[in-house]
Amino acid sequence: MQRSNRETRPHALSAVASTARLPPRFPQRYTRHNGPRAVKGWSTAGPTSASRTLSRRSLLRMASLAGAAAVVPVTGCAAGPTEQGAVTTLRFMQNKPEVVGYFNQVIRDFEALNPDIHVIQDFNEGNFVPGLVRNDPPDVVTRGFAQATGDFVRKGIFADLSELPEASTVDPQIQDLVNSWGQYNGHEISALPFSLAAAGVIYNRDIFDAHGVAVPTTWDAFTAACETFRAAGITPIYGTFKDPWTLAQGMFDYVSGGVLDTAEFFGSLNAKGADVSAAAAESFTSNFRPVLPRMLQLASFSQNGASSKNYSDGNAAFAKGQAAMYLQGPWALSPLVAANKEVRLGTFPLPATNNPADTKARVNVDMALSITRNTPNMAAARRFVAYLMEPAVVNAYNEKHAAFSPLKGAPPVTNPQITGLAESVSNARFYQGAATYFPPSVPLHNYIQSFVYSRNGDQFLAALDDEWRRVAERTAV
Amino acid sequence: MTASLLPQRTTRTRAPRTSAPEGYKINWWLTALMLVASLTVLLPLYFTLAMALKSPDQVGTGTGLAWPNPMNWDNFAEAYVATGFARAFMSTAFVTVFSVLGALASSSLVAYAIARNWNHRFFRGSFVYLLSAMFIPFPVIILPLIKQTAILGLDNPAGVVFLHVLGGISFNTLLYIAFVRSIPVELEESARMDGATTWQVFRRIIFPLLAPMNATVGIFAFLGSWNDFLLPQMMIADPALQTLPVVQMLFQGEFNTNYSLAFASYLMAMAPTLVVYILAQRWVLSGVMRGAVK
Repeated sequence: MQRSNRETRPHALSAVASTARLPPRFPQRYTRHNGPRAVKGWSTAGPTSASRTLSRRSLLRMASLAGAAAVVPVTGCAAGPTEQGAVTTLRFMQNKPEVVGYFNQVIRDFEALNPDIHVIQDFNEGNFVPGLVRNDPPDVVTRGFAQATGDFVRKGIFADLSELPEASTVDPQIQDLVNSWGQYNGHEISALPFSLAAAGVIYNRDIFDAHGVAVPTTWDAFTAACETFRAAGITPIYGTFKDPWTLAQGMFDYVSGGVLDTAEFFGSLNAKGADVSAAAAESFTSNFRPVLPRMLQLASFSQNGASSKNYSDGNAAFAKGQAAMYLQGPWALSPLVAANKEVRLGTFPLPATNNPADTKARVNVDMALSITRNTPNMAAARRFVAYLMEPAVVNAYNEKHAAFSPLKGAPPVTNPQITGLAESVSNARFYQGAATYFPPSVPLHNYIQSFVYSRNGDQFLAALDDEWRRVAERTAV
Repeated sequence: MTASLLPQRTTRTRAPRTSAPEGYKINWWLTALMLVASLTVLLPLYFTLAMALKSPDQVGTGTGLAWPNPMNWDNFAEAYVATGFARAFMSTAFVTVFSVLGALASSSLVAYAIARNWNHRFFRGSFVYLLSAMFIPFPVIILPLIKQTAILGLDNPAGVVFLHVLGGISFNTLLYIAFVRSIPVELEESARMDGATTWQVFRRIIFPLLAPMNATVGIFAFLGSWNDFLLPQMMIADPALQTLPVVQMLFQGEFNTNYSLAFASYLMAMAPTLVVYILAQRWVLSGVMRGAVK
């Protein structure tokens, strides 16, 4: 069958070519000016390679014409919605591709209640800056709040939302997390937190139960638990050192957040500006020294060969119960459950000192809603943000995605995977990871990785001081 | 006509098969080497196929070499719906078709003009000018370009086409000029004798003779525009008109990648490339120059 197919194909192609009445190639065309007969002469001249070329070319040509023709209706209907005068079209740029489906449903609900507004969801965050450049940014934006978004805030990209009634429903301590990245004109509220992600030590409840280990509340209890697991032949902590970001958000953030007051440290470091030197009281060298031995101790509790494992390896292995603990945030929960539906997980904040009252959770404002300042659809955008900030919408989203609602009086979390962090979050015993304070131009993650491998703390802290000063000099105003 | 074609085809394909043992010796070592080398293409393709047919709980298990059982064909339908495949496909096809046509038309015209007017200082200068564009790294000018295209109303697939054609013109012209120089001027002179105008000479003689280079430029332009990520991502303002490579980002979150859906959608996006590759490759190989210069 195969072979006979192949043999009939050239015949089919030349039939297409002759019915399409292609002009023959030049020499015939110029010598005899009789179209149809020239075609006949050409095709009976035998199946030379030249004739096959022509037929294939004709096929390509027709394919391209068909493609072009098919595109026209698409561009036609895309212009449709914007022309329906009564309906305002909003663009909503959202930073998490994995929840696009969820927000499509939210948007459908919103449009049912507000038939005069049409919302287009865009998850292509890379188009945000180009949107600003062409002065056509999306109307409503959600972003994770850290250094980069703080930059936009300080430049006044986003409108002031303090007048919005919904602004008063947000827990002020969580609003402070957003505001800590800077406020335009010193007082504006540029974003309303929508989802707060809290991270700690993810642990396998079955392994903890099997070895009679309780959730540790002090550093000594934590290391004792690790020793227990190690003695039992179980890897205490699964390390994924090949992906340096896992070291940054894991051991670096958890230990520094537990030992130091990161917000205060970076506040005074920023105030010092380009004058910071390794000897200064504000420097990394002067403050981060107690953090380092604990990081190395955490690293020593990892499995052999952690330096060749990446984040996805870690998810697959931890889901299968190959370690008792895993230094990851709530984003790892859904891949873990996807890899093993039976796994019973919990999270506790890492106790970095021996005083249980010091124990804090690492949080980040995972989504915060902003309206761009120059949007022509301010009223519609405000209505959309107001809808998204309704307790039912906010709480339902966070309930479903293992995150914490930033609203006052939000119902307590019931998801057993994150209940261990609930007390820290509700008492505002939390910090934003030290790694998130670094400007992207400092390759912090790689420095952390090289510190974990080389164990050279002086070099590590000196490098951070150097890098920080370099960036401060460059960006000084 | 068809009757006369078919028997000839069969004899042509069968002839080498019978004469092969006498005609040449098979180099088994080289054949084995080529077989191993072909694995570099076939193995990733196998992984892609296998991954595209896995259900979420099959993704993380095993070595990856095992064929999924049962096969989860729903991935294709799910990826099709999630990406809005038909619309993204049409947008990508629009960009690609017009980028290829634009690249072929503009660069060959420019090359012909420059190659045949090499004695004019203006044309030599313009060649250097075009070549100098190759020294400007694209990311450096992308933000000004975005501003400019927005002012001109080109923040859409048409603008992407325009920039693809423009961006390729220096390299493509370089390719074409070398080729145009190898075409004997006598061919053109004979056409002039028959009363052809410059346009007719280009359309009837030069452009057909450029076919091998057209194929090369066409393939470069096709792959470049079909697979391009950065330009559409930054340029196309309306998410509804976004192209496939950008839309497929949907499956890669910051911390989660939906591998099975992603690979199903990559396969669907790859299909036209494969088809065009097979067609265009044979086109190149068929030796269009034969019979033109005797």
